[in-house]
Amino acid sequence: MLIKKQTIDHEMFAPPLANLRVLAHAHGVAAACAARMLGTLGAEVTLIEPPGGTPLRREPPFLPGGTSALFAYLAAGANSRVLDLNMVDGISAMQCLLSEADIFIDDTPLDQRAAQGLDEAIIAANHPQLVHVSVLPFGACGPKAGWQAEEINILHASGEGYLLPNGLTCELFPDRPPVKVYGHFASMQGGIAAALGALSALWVREEVGGQFVDIASQDAALAVGAFAIQRLGDGSVEHRVERSFRYGGVLPCKDGHVELLTLEQRQWEGLVKLLGEPDWTKDPALADSLERSRRGPELNRHIRAWAATRKVEDIVREGQKLSVPLAKYYTPAEVLRDPHEQVRGLFQPVEVPGSGLLDMLVSPFHFDGAPLALRCGPPVLGDAA
Amino acid sequence: MRPLAGIRIADFTVHNAGPFCTHLLSQLGAEVIKVESAMRPDAFRKPHPVYGRMGPATFDQVASNKLSVRINLKKPDGVALAKRLVAVSDIAAESFRPGVIGRLGLGFDELKAVKRDIIMLCVSSSGQSGPDSHFAGYAPLFGAWGGLSEMTGFADGPPVEMRHVMDHTVGMNAAVAVMAALHRRRATGEGSLIDVAAREVASSLLGEALLMAAAGQEQHRTGNDHPRMSPHGVYPASGEDCWISIAVRSDTERQALANLIGASEVSEAALSAWTAAREANQAAQELQAAGIAAHASWTTPEIAADPHLRVRRGIVEVSEPDGKTRAAVGVPMRLSKGADIGIERGTPRLGEHEDHVYGELLGMGRKERQALEESEVIF
Repeated sequence: MLIKKQTIDHEMFAPPLANLRVLAHAHGVAAACAARMLGTLGAEVTLIEPPGGTPLRREPPFLPGGTSALFAYLAAGANSRVLDLNMVDGISAMQCLLSEADIFIDDTPLDQRAAQGLDEAIIAANHPQLVHVSVLPFGACGPKAGWQAEEINILHASGEGYLLPNGLTCELFPDRPPVKVYGHFASMQGGIAAALGALSALWVREEVGGQFVDIASQDAALAVGAFAIQRLGDGSVEHRVERSFRYGGVLPCKDGHVELLTLEQRQWEGLVKLLGEPDWTKDPALADSLERSRRGPELNRHIRAWAATRKVEDIVREGQKLSVPLAKYYTPAEVLRDPHEQVRGLFQPVEVPGSGLLDMLVSPFHFDGAPLALRCGPPVLGDAA
Repeated sequence: MRPLAGIRIADFTVHNAGPFCTHLLSQLGAEVIKVESAMRPDAFRKPHPVYGRMGPATFDQVASNKLSVRINLKKPDGVALAKRLVAVSDIAAESFRPGVIGRLGLGFDELKAVKRDIIMLCVSSSGQSGPDSHFAGYAPLFGAWGGLSEMTGFADGPPVEMRHVMDHTVGMNAAVAVMAALHRRRATGEGSLIDVAAREVASSLLGEALLMAAAGQEQHRTGNDHPRMSPHGVYPASGEDCWISIAVRSDTERQALANLIGASEVSEAALSAWTAAREANQAAQELQAAGIAAHASWTTPEIAADPHLRVRRGIVEVSEPDGKTRAAVGVPMRLSKGADIGIERGTPRLGEHEDHVYGELLGMGRKERQALEESEVIF
């Protein structure tokens, strides 16, 4: 099949946040993620780094050329400016930059802000039109505002940590502790919430002036896990064992894994066809969704036996034709090579210092039928000096 | 001040991802009018026994704060009514399979014809373009397609499916895109067509692994291990199925941990023995006091009762139409000049706000409404 790649004329397309100026003082993933989101939407982002660079530059995994892949991804499209905020000159230069910015994103621990001229009151007094976004694990107010946390702690403070794994992993390893989501899931929720907060505050700047936006990654990770709280109100306490799907879920196949989830009656009927309408599916009682739920383990034995002898691609292709929700478990390399994502322009080649041109994920958004674009790859330290 | 006061959203989204987006925007002040019909209520108003229970139990959170009207989009007059609603809105949001909204006669071009600068948000599994755009999907499939689930799990086990957090991550991303489009409209006077692909949102959460793959360095799932921090993981606490998460970032912290647990050297076994003898929250307090990142692995009741989250309004109490109150999750931000953001109302009954929307907003007379109800347009 000839694949036509979606392209974009970067000269012609004015991204949504063109002319917006963002300063990011980011030591961790959440603040950097917020800046990246605004940057991919068109804002001009300057990363303020201490001498030696942000700690993100030293976070694994590392690309063959030695650059942190995490830093490269999060800082792509940004400029870098080095300032020593422990020195008077650095603080003064920072105040000058703040006076020209629309949004300031900062994850400096609370107890260090005043000395660097970065606390809420100082910034509000000096820069009344600035949207000042604080991004911390537990936020800037509340009894735990000073607590330290890494990704795994935020996940477990916000609910999803306790609730994973479910399904097949939970069956296979019932005595193991909960397992975390890969990477920086909870911190990135903080980043997404920070981008949302920044743009919301900016929306009313003409009416109320700048303001302080207080983001906690814990709040954001909790927000996306909202249904556990919802169910608590309904009298049900979620647990990783009980919340496993009664049937479907992760199915081991001949050459990998496939995900199956049928919520609607018509999807079950499609699944029966996909399975070849074996005798066990003809039990009239199984026409009732609640009965299927009750007999989930029995159904899963049949479905798993069927899947184990088949290839993932065959199951997904035939299943989706029948509108059965099925997906292959893609590795990162498979996502990268996926014809669907090539057509949609999810990746853009950018220059990464030490590694050359690499395909980098840009953004999950298309505007007016076209993908967004990165301005450039990650910055060399101090490239905007 | 609620920042989005004065912004109106015609909300055709269903399930979780799209509705969570508009729910967030409603908490920021937008007036969100949820469109359903008795024939086709939101699928999440209905029970889903695959979860092992008959009650819907997932609808209330994302429906909170919204106004509800009935429109039967299968009828031409229903489509015309939907256009009247869009004509007085700033944003139209939908999350059907790609192509469905166009076949209903409510595609971007049709909506632009009734509201020149409309912002249209389309949320789908795989996006509006590409060879897989027709694929059906839910949260676990987004995580599978996107690579996030393959990378999550124990090294010697299978991938782990993502649950509602994946849907809601898509919704929060979509809310950012909508805000960006509003700013663009203010700057240029132009509307936007926003296409959010849920599987791509999942991929955006593992950008570093994708970049490593692009450099020929495939990554694999590693459970709770971290490539730099050690110890790093989830350790047993006293009590059944009680755990604590700990992340030690430096030699200084390792020494502090050794001092705290009374060991000459920190080993996984020594740390587990120490944590297993303590209540998780108490252990976390002691570790934090020693400068070590730690937090108990909280159950939902513990989260709902947390004073810190209550102070921050990360957890709030919501009143339902039947007078009952329940805990709900608030909007994940605090604004120094927007103390009034958050949930104002609980779940709307189907069609609860038609007097306001059809009467006051669209100026529809009683006779016209009655005729539309009799012809099953408002139904």
